[in-house]
Amino acid sequence: MMVAAFLILGGLIFLSGTALIAFYWAARDGQFRDLKKGSEVIFDEDEPIGQPTDRFPVKHTT
Amino acid sequence: MTTLAASLNPSPNDATLERIERSAIDASARLPVLLFFGTAIFWLLIGSLLALVAAFKMNIPGLMDNEAWLTFGRVRPAHLNTVVFGWASAAGIGVGLWLMARLCRVAMMHTSLLIVAAIFWNLGVLVGTLGILAGDSRSIEWLEFPGYATPILFIAYAFIGIWGIIMFRFRKPGHVYVSQWYLLAAFLWFPWLYATVNILLIWQPILGSAQGAVNWWFAHNVLGLWFTPIGLASAYYMIPKVIGRPIHSYYLSILGFWSLALFYSWNGMHHLIGGPFPAWMISASVVASVMMFVPVITVAINHHMTMQGHFGALQWSPTLRFTVFGAMSYTIVSFQGSLMAIPTLNQITHFTHYTIGHSHLGLYAFFTMMMFGAMYYIIPRLVGWEWPSANLIRWHFWLAAIGILIMVGALTFGGIIQGLALYDPAVNFMNSLFFASPWLWVRSFSGLLLTAAHVIFAVHFVMMLLHLGDKRAEPTLFARPIPEEETITA
Repeated sequence: MMVAAFLILGGLIFLSGTALIAFYWAARDGQFRDLKKGSEVIFDEDEPIGQPTDRFPVKHTT
Repeated sequence: MTTLAASLNPSPNDATLERIERSAIDASARLPVLLFFGTAIFWLLIGSLLALVAAFKMNIPGLMDNEAWLTFGRVRPAHLNTVVFGWASAAGIGVGLWLMARLCRVAMMHTSLLIVAAIFWNLGVLVGTLGILAGDSRSIEWLEFPGYATPILFIAYAFIGIWGIIMFRFRKPGHVYVSQWYLLAAFLWFPWLYATVNILLIWQPILGSAQGAVNWWFAHNVLGLWFTPIGLASAYYMIPKVIGRPIHSYYLSILGFWSLALFYSWNGMHHLIGGPFPAWMISASVVASVMMFVPVITVAINHHMTMQGHFGALQWSPTLRFTVFGAMSYTIVSFQGSLMAIPTLNQITHFTHYTIGHSHLGLYAFFTMMMFGAMYYIIPRLVGWEWPSANLIRWHFWLAAIGILIMVGALTFGGIIQGLALYDPAVNFMNSLFFASPWLWVRSFSGLLLTAAHVIFAVHFVMMLLHLGDKRAEPTLFARPIPEEETITA
């Protein structure tokens, strides 16, 4: 029973700890600064903003 | 795409390098992700069959009751666990792995970890499902898999979590995109949930009604801290990528993530309103459930404003069609969930089919549709082949969308009628069942539509793997979309 209690409490502290550390790290690292740039990281020159990337298949008979 | 100047200059430009990098990432993801997708689709079919058997048993009592393993008490949990663990989790893992590699912008490392994880995962689901059908169910909702199946699943999870941390550690420097936050959180949260609930309910069972609290803490968090983050991670990537426009408000998306992390894990106790629990526990959970309006509204505003002016894209993009359907369902199901936590409404809906409607709205209309959308985007990039038939995609979408709307509608109306009848002391209990029964026929019919949609999708997936259909003249991935869906050049 004791072992289980330690595991549960340990898990709880570990998880909450990770969340707090992650939040602290994100703030320190500047993850919350310049949010506009952050939203654009999934685009690049090959797939730039303004270029759609998916569509229904088109029938080709050659 | 290639200008004259570019073809004269042998040194590659940024765009070419980025395309090569992206192709390398997709190529590295090919085997593990397809393994998770393929097995997920297999379990989706099995889960649909089990669902149909369970649904028709509600219409025709005594149907197929001669065999013990086909009785309702086994088929129904077998359905729940195959769709939750076999289909939804595996599909979510596949999507999560691919997104993780793309967002870290590194080719997948240690793919052997993932292949081992996929094998263990499916072994766990197989052993667990057979165990339930053999009569070894543990009778704890969402945890029916017998004790000999759970360690196998847990090993698979551990491998995936470790892989996620390694990938994050070796990511390209720069901003951590909101989808990455969601995925990392999901990869860490689930093993914790699963381990905790197994310790408290199986290994060293706590006593009495506290078991119920642990059970619902777990079951609700599977939805909130595992499926929801993966679904939203997918939406936050797919919607901007498909229409080529960054999210409307990145600030709101970050706020949504952290408020979800703060409030969601408190929600489970709202399943126990009226139960033998301290009042503060239930009250805290009801308050947290209502606070879920914060993350939900931020997500809803964000997705809607991103789509604003681009709704025409729903005509030409399969991914977007499924994803937007999922995103809208997310808003609806979350609002509904917050309202259901309010005790006066809960009195009517609790213990009725209404709840089943709610869970299908969450797990199917939101999560499953989101996964279909992501798969339509990811699979062509993995196999290097375009989806052979636009019509099969259309059939898949409409059967699934109409099917789930009918199902949720029928269960909602049937549930309310049933709930009001249960609540009225003048109505005897048997009548409350009879009132709901026509709606259950409608539900079974909608199940047939969904199953048909799944068969179509499975066939299409196999066609993709075998590279059936026309070879596209140009890679559709990089081409500009055109509004005409069918152009036939004879």
